[in-house]
Amino acid sequence: MTRNKLAKREAKQLFRLCMVDALLDEGRVRQVAQHVSAAGYRYCPAVLAHFLRLVKLDQARHTANVESATPLPEDLQASTQASLTRLYGPGLITAFVHRPSLIGGMRVQVGSDVYDGSVKAALEALEKSF
Amino acid sequence: MIAFLFLAAQASEGQVAKIARTFGVDWLHLGAQIISFSIVCAVLYKFAYRQILAMLEERRQQIAQGLANAEKIKAELDRTEAQRQEVMTQAHAQGATFIEEARAAAARVLEQETQKAIAASEQIISKAREAAAQDHDRMLAELRREVGRLVVQATTMVTGKILTPEDHRRLAEETERHIAA
Repeated sequence: MTRNKLAKREAKQLFRLCMVDALLDEGRVRQVAQHVSAAGYRYCPAVLAHFLRLVKLDQARHTANVESATPLPEDLQASTQASLTRLYGPGLITAFVHRPSLIGGMRVQVGSDVYDGSVKAALEALEKSF
Repeated sequence: MIAFLFLAAQASEGQVAKIARTFGVDWLHLGAQIISFSIVCAVLYKFAYRQILAMLEERRQQIAQGLANAEKIKAELDRTEAQRQEVMTQAHAQGATFIEEARAAAARVLEQETQKAIAASEQIISKAREAAAQDHDRMLAELRREVGRLVVQATTMVTGKILTPEDHRRLAEETERHIAA
């Protein structure tokens, strides 16, 4: 087994240790990072790099970026958050961003999933169709 | 001859002697002259006439041989001339055949080259038409893209100004419904 595969396997095991009720525990993440750094482990940099990548991916999966051309009303923000929670489960961090360049509508990104109902996306699709 | 003269002299002693005396013939001198003339004739025959005759015979044979050679040469010349005529006839016939074959080959080559030229020209025309069609399609596509870009640009500039808060809400609700679905 190569050094990189070993580091990946170690990082994956460490990442599983940080999960509490299917959610990533930030405290455990800090503890693991400190422990690995202090242990003087031979593959420490590679393991930490893979561990950081897994944490970032998990964070992206549990973070919803909601962009809108105009600031969303409170009720619409709540309903959107509720819909996203139903779809992706609890622990989802939702961030609402005002982005006038969208012209109109709303764009939601959770991890690699994108729901783009903005006027800008529609116009870009129209331009591509020509 | 001498004997004949002697006999003739004896036979006609009378008249001959009379005539001889009339003309002053001295038989002794005449006989001596005849003898000396005979000797001269014999010597001439022995040493001159035979050689001259031999030389004449040799000359005659040479002339005959020359004539025969001339005949042979003439015959050979005639035969050569006949052969030349025959060769010339064959050459003419062969030349005519070659010319006909060359003409036929030239006609074939001309026909082939003409066909090739026609095919090449048709191919060039076909390619030119295809190129023109491709250029036309490309220009049409570019024009369509440009028109689309201008339309989108104009729409982008106008849409933001004409959307009301209700429109914004409606658009956001549509996206939210899409997520919920």
